[in-house]
Amino acid sequence: MYEKDTITALATPLGKGGIGVVRVSGPLVELVAKEMVGELPKSRVAAYRNFLDAQGTVIDQGLVLYFKAPNSFTGEDVLELQGHGGPVVMNLVVARVLELGARLAKPGEFSERAFLNDKMDLSQAEAIADLIDSASSQAAKSALRSLQGEFSKKVNSIIKGLIELRVYVEASIDFPEEEIDFLDNPKIGEDLDTLVEKIDQLIEQAGQGALLREGVSIVLAGRPNAGKSSLMNCLTGQDTSIVTEIAGTTRDVVNELIHLEGVPVRLIDTAGLRKGNNPVEIEGVRRAEKEIALADYVLVVVDLNAHRLDLTAHIDELLATLPKVENYIVALNKADLWQPEHVSEKQVLVSAKTGKGVDDLRALIAEGIGLRVSSEGTFIARARHLDALQRGIQSLVRGQALFGNNTAGELLAEELRSCQQALGEITGEFTSDDLLGTIFASFCIGK
Amino acid sequence: MSEKHFDVIIVGGGHAGTEAALASARMGCRTLLLSQNIETLGQMSCNPAIGGIGKSHLVKEIDALGGAMALAADQAGIHFRTLNARKGPAVRATRAQSDRALYKAAIRSVLENQQNLYIIQQSVEDLVVTGDRVEGVVTQMGLHFYASAVVLTVGTFLGGVIHVGMEKQQGGRAGDAPSNRLASRLRELPFNVGRLKTGTPPRIDGKTVDYSELQAQPGDEPRPVMSYLSTGEEHPQQVSCFITHTSEKTHDIIRAGLDRSPLYTGEIDGVGPRYCPSIEDKVVRFADRSSHQIFIEPEGLKTHEIYPNGISTSLPYDVQLALVRSIKGFENAHITRPGYAIEYDFFEPRDLQSSLQTRHLAGLYFAGQINGTTGYEEAAAQGLLAGINAARQVQELTPWCPDRSEAYIGVLVDDLITLGTKEPYRMFTSRAEYRLVLRQDNADRRLTEQGHSMGLVDDRRWRLFSEKLSGIETLSEKLSKHWVQPGDDRVEAFTGKQLSREYNLLELLKRPEVEIKALLAALDMDNNNVAESEQVEIDVKYAGYIVRQQQEIDRVKSQQDLSIPSDLDYVAVAGLSNEVSQKLCAVRPETIGQAARISGVTPAAVSLLLIYLKRHKASAALKSA
Repeated sequence: MYEKDTITALATPLGKGGIGVVRVSGPLVELVAKEMVGELPKSRVAAYRNFLDAQGTVIDQGLVLYFKAPNSFTGEDVLELQGHGGPVVMNLVVARVLELGARLAKPGEFSERAFLNDKMDLSQAEAIADLIDSASSQAAKSALRSLQGEFSKKVNSIIKGLIELRVYVEASIDFPEEEIDFLDNPKIGEDLDTLVEKIDQLIEQAGQGALLREGVSIVLAGRPNAGKSSLMNCLTGQDTSIVTEIAGTTRDVVNELIHLEGVPVRLIDTAGLRKGNNPVEIEGVRRAEKEIALADYVLVVVDLNAHRLDLTAHIDELLATLPKVENYIVALNKADLWQPEHVSEKQVLVSAKTGKGVDDLRALIAEGIGLRVSSEGTFIARARHLDALQRGIQSLVRGQALFGNNTAGELLAEELRSCQQALGEITGEFTSDDLLGTIFASFCIGK
Repeated sequence: MSEKHFDVIIVGGGHAGTEAALASARMGCRTLLLSQNIETLGQMSCNPAIGGIGKSHLVKEIDALGGAMALAADQAGIHFRTLNARKGPAVRATRAQSDRALYKAAIRSVLENQQNLYIIQQSVEDLVVTGDRVEGVVTQMGLHFYASAVVLTVGTFLGGVIHVGMEKQQGGRAGDAPSNRLASRLRELPFNVGRLKTGTPPRIDGKTVDYSELQAQPGDEPRPVMSYLSTGEEHPQQVSCFITHTSEKTHDIIRAGLDRSPLYTGEIDGVGPRYCPSIEDKVVRFADRSSHQIFIEPEGLKTHEIYPNGISTSLPYDVQLALVRSIKGFENAHITRPGYAIEYDFFEPRDLQSSLQTRHLAGLYFAGQINGTTGYEEAAAQGLLAGINAARQVQELTPWCPDRSEAYIGVLVDDLITLGTKEPYRMFTSRAEYRLVLRQDNADRRLTEQGHSMGLVDDRRWRLFSEKLSGIETLSEKLSKHWVQPGDDRVEAFTGKQLSREYNLLELLKRPEVEIKALLAALDMDNNNVAESEQVEIDVKYAGYIVRQQQEIDRVKSQQDLSIPSDLDYVAVAGLSNEVSQKLCAVRPETIGQAARISGVTPAAVSLLLIYLKRHKASAALKSA
């Protein structure tokens, strides 16, 4: 078949309590099995094993299942590691598989392989295409969200440093008579060291889990005074498992992290959506809209009491402002004051004041998320980004060793190129033409 | 045989046209080369140099495939240098300053002595088109020539306009008429036409230059060569180049003349190359620089004219004269030919197939500047490829195009047909992702065998190449069987410390500090063939990197081999965004690999294409069954 890569991914939604399944498909399955569970199990027979990391330490325990090609879902050798779930543990399992040479699957890639290897009916082509399409746009959205805040600042500064280095090195290779020579410039070595240090720090911080545990995001949206903030306090205040409190990036957007049935959830309170003239408010609304566009889930908060007469119209109006978001729940707040006769499927009656209905709301959100995280969330997006950084730094470390040996100019250039190729998975491709463009903008080239 | 009927017709006798004509004729096709002026066959219209970074890589590939450029450069070369000598073999390059007259004579002689090749001096004004096929050409005298494949290599002659200051006139090169009839005829056909611009500096009479003020730059000794067949003995007398610089005064003169610069008054629409800007561009864009380097290239052994590389300009003559005379050494300089800018038509290269055949007219091939490239080497490489594929079409064989991992020629063509170009396209080593395997020292090992099987390589070249290959093999076997012991001070002089165990010489060569030449000398294993020992050394020292690049190549190759039907309806592919399907429609990639390289085509889009193709193929198979 056309693919030689071994791919891996979490095959189940993330959660603290249930079972987590990591699936591996491709030629490295046997190696992964031998390294992680000691042997390649008999095909199609479940075995209970320890999952080991590189040092032989137990990461988790669980069932391991091997499906020999072509009798597997994808038609290739497939290994399934069924562990105890929990984001951190499952991430360690995936990380170990990556370490052994696999790469993270693209969205929908297991199904794609199944189809291309004749494991699926031709009539399913449309469905697979739809899956890839929707999963990819979801992944793109998650990747964008992973790249917000501090993480993004650091990644961008690393990429910028790398490009500066490459521009200098490539310019002195392609334009040797323009009086640029990196081999004689000690600053190149220093810059290389700084870059390695920066990536190292970022990986370490992320490895501690703080960045990885961001989880699913839910934005609270609605008109001002609908009770968003009190509902937020309700959801977070009653939950004892608040792990961090992230200061809002703006006065108007507030972030809090809670755990809902084991799934880390980031709650985001936004400014009320209304058209105002005050510049501060306009800015607040703009940011709110941005959060909504990026969110996994929107919790639309409605003031029942204020909309006794036009409730349906009011809800429709609010939903119409959501940019193509299907993942929403409507919280009908202030139910202690007034209740409509009919409550539809995606709605829940709640009172932030009395706390009544908050448990129902929680359950509904959890249910929604359970459906949602089966496609790619921030967690996986960031894992992807860290994987790219890991590969990038390996190239740079080899580059450092080469810089000392001053006949190896082209080899250093090659290491920088492969580092950029890895980091390009985070920031988008940086083509050779982009590189030349930057060179021509930085140096006066040409005879 | 009829004087009107040929297998292949080549239009244009520049660097692209001559390689195209020679390739086609070598492959046994009855080939007609039509040139406006036989005296200008092989003319260097810009600076008198062949090669340079990325470019000598192309020249050596042309040579490995039996082309003429490298041999002509060796016969005409009056100054040779190796560039990037210490940055590693993959980015090492060779540059040859040429005597223009000798270069032209060398090319003319090869052309005149080529079997199957007929040269006629005629300007082509029209194509003979039947349906969507080209069947021949019509010349200015109304002569009709017929062939099933026609290669257009018309350089900057299509709709050429020359600018000097606010004066402009039609021309294909200073002193030559443009091909306007052909240009307007081609504009009637369904090609996408754009405008590009390039320029030259004023030429100067060397007798009026004060060389005592200038820094001389002699060529390298021992002299590098371009062709795998050359030894250096074919080189004529060698001379030096010189270096001087512009001054603040020069820049003031230029700034004062900008109101009469066609570049800055909007007279020129064509896009010029960013890596080869005019001096007025450099002064405006890098205003903080107080000086720019000028590289003085000799035009030949029997002329005093020099080519001051670095002051390409389209400013008016009086400003040119003043700016030249403000430069050190040029205080009394006499301009023999004013500099100028030239604008010309080029055709959207994304309308080409990898064979360089146009998608709109079967049998019609484009090569050289007409495709938006610049440079003799880029033109010659395309000419060679177009000539090969025109001949293969006649012989009813599938087209040949090397992959990006096989040759710079492959990188050049793939870039052009996949990404198109916005400025005159020039080769750089940074364009090649497999740079470490595409070296100028191994072009023969990459291509000569393929060239031989296509009928491009003559017996002498094939014999020398075969000897080289077996020499490499013999030497590396000899080294692998020669063991040295700890305490052998002939060897430990290189390693700097005692060997930890017994080593064979190939293993020792892996160490960066051990060089093959010195090692062989120290052990009295003299090997006179530098080309062979160099290959053994690079193979060993770069083995790790080469293996890694090979893995990357293999991974991409599986996609590269999956072909896409040329009539695929991208709108029907489920899930593709409008933007992506438009891009795919514009390029019509030949393989999945090429599709993936189009900017904006995401991995998800590639997956969708794969799924569509699979279903498409399966339902087609069902129908035929």
